[in-house]
Amino acid sequence: MATTVTLPTGAISKPAAAVRVTAVQMGIVAGVLAVAAGALFEVRPPEAYGVCMACHGRDLVNWTLNVVAGTHLTVAPASLVFPVVTTIGVLLGAVLGAATSGEFRWWSPESSWKAFMYGMLVMNFALVAGGCSIRLLLRTAAGEALGLIGFGGMVAGVILGTFWLRWRATR
Amino acid sequence: MTAAVATLVIGVILGYLGQRSRMCFVGGIRDFILVRDGYLLKGLIAFGLTAWLAFPLVGLFGGARPGPFGASEVATVVFTILGGFGVGYFSTLANGCPLRQHVLAAQGVRSSIAYLVGFFAGAVIFHTWTAPLLFRLLP
Repeated sequence: MATTVTLPTGAISKPAAAVRVTAVQMGIVAGVLAVAAGALFEVRPPEAYGVCMACHGRDLVNWTLNVVAGTHLTVAPASLVFPVVTTIGVLLGAVLGAATSGEFRWWSPESSWKAFMYGMLVMNFALVAGGCSIRLLLRTAAGEALGLIGFGGMVAGVILGTFWLRWRATR
Repeated sequence: MTAAVATLVIGVILGYLGQRSRMCFVGGIRDFILVRDGYLLKGLIAFGLTAWLAFPLVGLFGGARPGPFGASEVATVVFTILGGFGVGYFSTLANGCPLRQHVLAAQGVRSSIAYLVGFFAGAVIFHTWTAPLLFRLLP
């Protein structure tokens, strides 16, 4: 018989094996790893490049295309010889987390076409700014003025986006 | 090669923790505004503070860096603000930052898989069309 525990929320019961991690714990581990990646594991240059879903994804895609199709798309200096594969790691880790907690489920909360467009837009804006939300904060933490400027822009974007979502939901 | 192995390991750790904690780097601000829920926001702050404390420890102070296009100061600042704004705005509409979308895609959310397809296509589109176009707009 499978043992289950009831979460404080009451409604959902999960396998007892499900590990609970808080956002703060995740943030601390991510902060340490992001700094360590750049300082100790050669994920540089550029500086403060330890974790970035946009730039690392770009590196992986462009590096692969360059090798397979002979194109000359830009990759960061850190990915010239062999690309950073954070993207693959995150996907594997998340599959592991979802599988061990029984949270894997096929569903689609949004139209795929819209999500595709959002993905394309976020990637383009992130590459213009020089980092996704994670790296903008990482650059800010590294003391880079441009990082702080980009992070400020991102916070403004999130605030406006949230008000837009609320406005759309209430009208 | 060191970087590839390191990022794979770090990615697995972050993906696992991100899945278990539902961490999102834009969701914190959104949740706080909408429902005054600080759970994700605390994660965001924890990440920033930890990195801020850890950078000096490893003796790596980020210095000034040339802009993404080697552009003039003003243009770089404007591009960075606009880029950051776009990241925040469209990530909010898409229901999560890029990391969260990776995690959701791995959890079987089909629209997030479509998001990732657009995300990676966007990288090629950026370097094929967007960046040359922005270059041309520069003084």
